[in-house]
Amino acid sequence: MSRAFANNIDSFNHNNVITFTAADDESKILAWLSPLEPQVRHQDIRNQRVDSVGDWLLGTKEFRNWYNGCGKDESDHAALFCYGDAGVGKSYIRYERSSV
Amino acid sequence: MNQATLLLTGHDDSSVVVDHLCDRAIENDMAVACFYYDFASREAQSPTNMLGSLLKQLLSGLEAIPAEVWLKFQGQKKVIGGRGLLLPDFVKMFPAILSSRRTFICIDALDECIPKYRLQVLNALGQILQTSPNTRMFITGRSHIRGAVERELGGRVISLSIKPKDDDIVTYLRARLRQDTTPEVMDSELEDDIMNSILEEIPETYVTVRSPETLHK
Repeated sequence: MSRAFANNIDSFNHNNVITFTAADDESKILAWLSPLEPQVRHQDIRNQRVDSVGDWLLGTKEFRNWYNGCGKDESDHAALFCYGDAGVGKSYIRYERSSV
Repeated sequence: MNQATLLLTGHDDSSVVVDHLCDRAIENDMAVACFYYDFASREAQSPTNMLGSLLKQLLSGLEAIPAEVWLKFQGQKKVIGGRGLLLPDFVKMFPAILSSRRTFICIDALDECIPKYRLQVLNALGQILQTSPNTRMFITGRSHIRGAVERELGGRVISLSIKPKDDDIVTYLRARLRQDTTPEVMDSELEDDIMNSILEEIPETYVTVRSPETLHK
């Protein structure tokens, strides 16, 4: 990526060595892009998770094909959508009510 | 712990996938970004915040901020203390960041996103897939959004129906019961009663069982 960066800068300026991304600027840029921090939620869910629950998904043919696939193949599916019914809705209604 | 306090979600499947991908990415110079939709935060989870969040995670893994992003920021920071980007701006930034390495983007519980936002996000994701052949996306959600997902992502998506695995549910329940904070009132008979009454209540669903206090953390 640093190469792409350098090339792009070359088109503006022929000085090869420009490193104007101070660490300070970097954290400002990241904050500007989005206030959300999903890694926090991932960590919460991860900590709550019970070992081996959900592991079966990793062994399915669909998951493996998706993981190993290459976007250049005609028949490739770059996206895998896993869906399931939420049941009769009783739990979901309770969920909605308790989170509003 | 009783039936009334049990809620069903699918977040665990996503978090297993995210961890699996992260472990491999660390070894193989790949990138992973994830996003968990959450009903309780739905207003804040706008399409621009969501895409910005993915971008932010991907940029954190790079040695330097790419010029495309840096120049955009330098321009926007001159006005109203750093004006935000619009959805098309974000979409245009992705190819430069995704081109250098294989990247996995995981999006959990897309059904919990506001419907209006969901279509915008799916449309943006479709464009990103089109311009970035190195990118793989993993999305979970309830089945009522399947039509929208397949419409927006077209032939690029394959759908997989997830059914509950009784083994998973039992493993999960046993582990939770072992964490009961009042073990003195628990015996094996009560444990079995709890397990059985819960399992009877579980409809066909892709979920594991979580209590409400873990849901809203």
